[in-house]
Amino acid sequence: MTDYEVRIGGERCNPAAGWTLVWDDRAQGIARLVSGTASVPVVVEGNSSDWVVTLNGRRIGVSVLTRRERLLADAASVERTHAGPTIVKATLPGLIVTVAVEVGDEVAEGATLLTIEAMKMQNEVRAPRAGKVIEVTVAAGQVVATGASLFRLE
Amino acid sequence: MSPPPPFGRLLIANRGEIAIRIIRACRELGISPIAVHSDADGEALHVRAADQSERIGPAAAAESYLSIEAVIDAARRSGVEAVHPGYGFLSENPAFARAVEDAGLVFVGPSAAVLEALGNKLAARRSAAEAGVPIVPGTTVALGDDPEPVEAIGFPVMLKAAAGGGGRGMRRVDAAKELRPAMDSARREALAAFGDGTIYVERMIAPARHVEVQLLGDRHGSLAILGERDCSVQRRHQKLVEESPSPAVSPTLRTALFESSRRVAAAVDFHNAATVEFLIDVEGNHYFLEMNTRLQVEHGVTELVTGLDIVAWQIRVAAGEALTADVLEASSRGHAIEFRLYAENPYDDFRPTAGRVTAWRMPDGPGVRVDAGVDRGTELRPEYDPLLAKVLVHAGDRPAALARMRRALDETRVGGLETDAGFLRWLVDDSAFASGDYDTSLIASRWVNGPVLTDEEAALASAAAVAARMGATTERPEAVPEAESDWGKQARREALRR
Repeated sequence: MTDYEVRIGGERCNPAAGWTLVWDDRAQGIARLVSGTASVPVVVEGNSSDWVVTLNGRRIGVSVLTRRERLLADAASVERTHAGPTIVKATLPGLIVTVAVEVGDEVAEGATLLTIEAMKMQNEVRAPRAGKVIEVTVAAGQVVATGASLFRLE
Repeated sequence: MSPPPPFGRLLIANRGEIAIRIIRACRELGISPIAVHSDADGEALHVRAADQSERIGPAAAAESYLSIEAVIDAARRSGVEAVHPGYGFLSENPAFARAVEDAGLVFVGPSAAVLEALGNKLAARRSAAEAGVPIVPGTTVALGDDPEPVEAIGFPVMLKAAAGGGGRGMRRVDAAKELRPAMDSARREALAAFGDGTIYVERMIAPARHVEVQLLGDRHGSLAILGERDCSVQRRHQKLVEESPSPAVSPTLRTALFESSRRVAAAVDFHNAATVEFLIDVEGNHYFLEMNTRLQVEHGVTELVTGLDIVAWQIRVAAGEALTADVLEASSRGHAIEFRLYAENPYDDFRPTAGRVTAWRMPDGPGVRVDAGVDRGTELRPEYDPLLAKVLVHAGDRPAALARMRRALDETRVGGLETDAGFLRWLVDDSAFASGDYDTSLIASRWVNGPVLTDEEAALASAAAVAARMGATTERPEAVPEAESDWGKQARREALRR
């Protein structure tokens, strides 16, 4: 059996031993974890190394990495922290209400960059890290889709 | 033999779960239900459930579900006799009620004049006070730039929009120095949301319970008071959970709430369904908040304990029927609870999410009712309310209802997007909620952003993901050929031999 390394929120995690995953409706990802007489309802989504397991209503992102994927993931995270610009993307679709920064602004981690109105609510998009804004790709009044690029931080 | 239907055809000027709820009532009454849809909803569940659906415009609500002109056009085209507005959208808009009547159709709701009188929260406060109903201490006139009336009440206070609803234009202010910016932002938000920046101030009642009384009135002067609902579990001043009866309401308080509700309703020429909302402080004093003259999201809770069909009665009353004795004398039996399943992330301030529903299985069985607006494959749109479904349970008493809700939540499976299911599952076992002794601060003080993931949960999730990956990999994992056991080799040899 391949040795998988499991990570949740970037932290290594040991899978509980002795549980079997029984698909109830494979197409929907509806399943149960079964061990002896114990049975835990779950929903399992994903493929390759990226999975989401819904347990007690809570969605838990789980990375299941082979040795090769682990090395690649570590290299990518080193790259992210040490070099290159960060692209801030929209995590939900909506209408851009205000853009709070301009090109050239130095922002602190957690600073509000813009607000998106979605589902009748205003949501703030914050800087994932400190840095200088080198590109603003949206303007107030524009509608963006999930994953749309909003800013570039140096 | 069933009585003749109140109407031949009825237009449902709404979408999602409430449109489906109204369609069901129509079917049971023998009415042909006609839906409306924006371009985003052509294949939506409510469209598929209706006999016919009229397109009313592009995805943006302002150009479709909120467009009086487009909805009236659809009503004319489809030849309906009545229009049910549901909740939200145009349901409390007096101009819409008037436009429906001007088109020669029946509006399933109170008259435009009543909507006008009660839609302004400040006017409703004045009218309640005049009727001798206790209101939250504060101003009964619009707040100007002078902070003096606010300071006279004493901090903390709540600023509220006169045209308000849905928690918008609402600000809690704890100290004098925060007042000015809060007044400015409350006005701005109210102006943007309602086109009216008028605000007023109320003393902050905390801790408080939020309890509402369900009313049903006919056009002949009869008024039924159908018990109360406790709506104290809220985020952003919006309800997530409702139950009836309220664990905080004694028989004495119940009598007082019903009397106050009767007085508020009597002050206007009210008919159809409405809810009178109150805050209750720790001493058991009640204060009028507002009267909502429409069907409430949480009407099902009252339907479960009374056995009445409130939506069907709205339609029958609109057609001129009188309330019958079984409505006017309805009593409450057992305990009902509603949990709202929203596309929101409870671990991130209940921020709305979007996406496609990839897994969808709702609970059923004894005492469980689900009013859902989506199904598997539904793409959730950012333009509309993120309510996915309401899970309701009914049982003999509150502990049995909680056990039933826990069971129902364990049967519920949703995949593809973030929901508040994790919060709801936590809530059912929370000691404050389970005891019934909770208030409107429950989420802010006890949930915050949820408990941290336990090691056990992480280990189980990991086990599930690893098993799924191993099963889902089309290529055999690299190490398997070398590591294959003798049993495996033997099995394959056996298989080849056949």
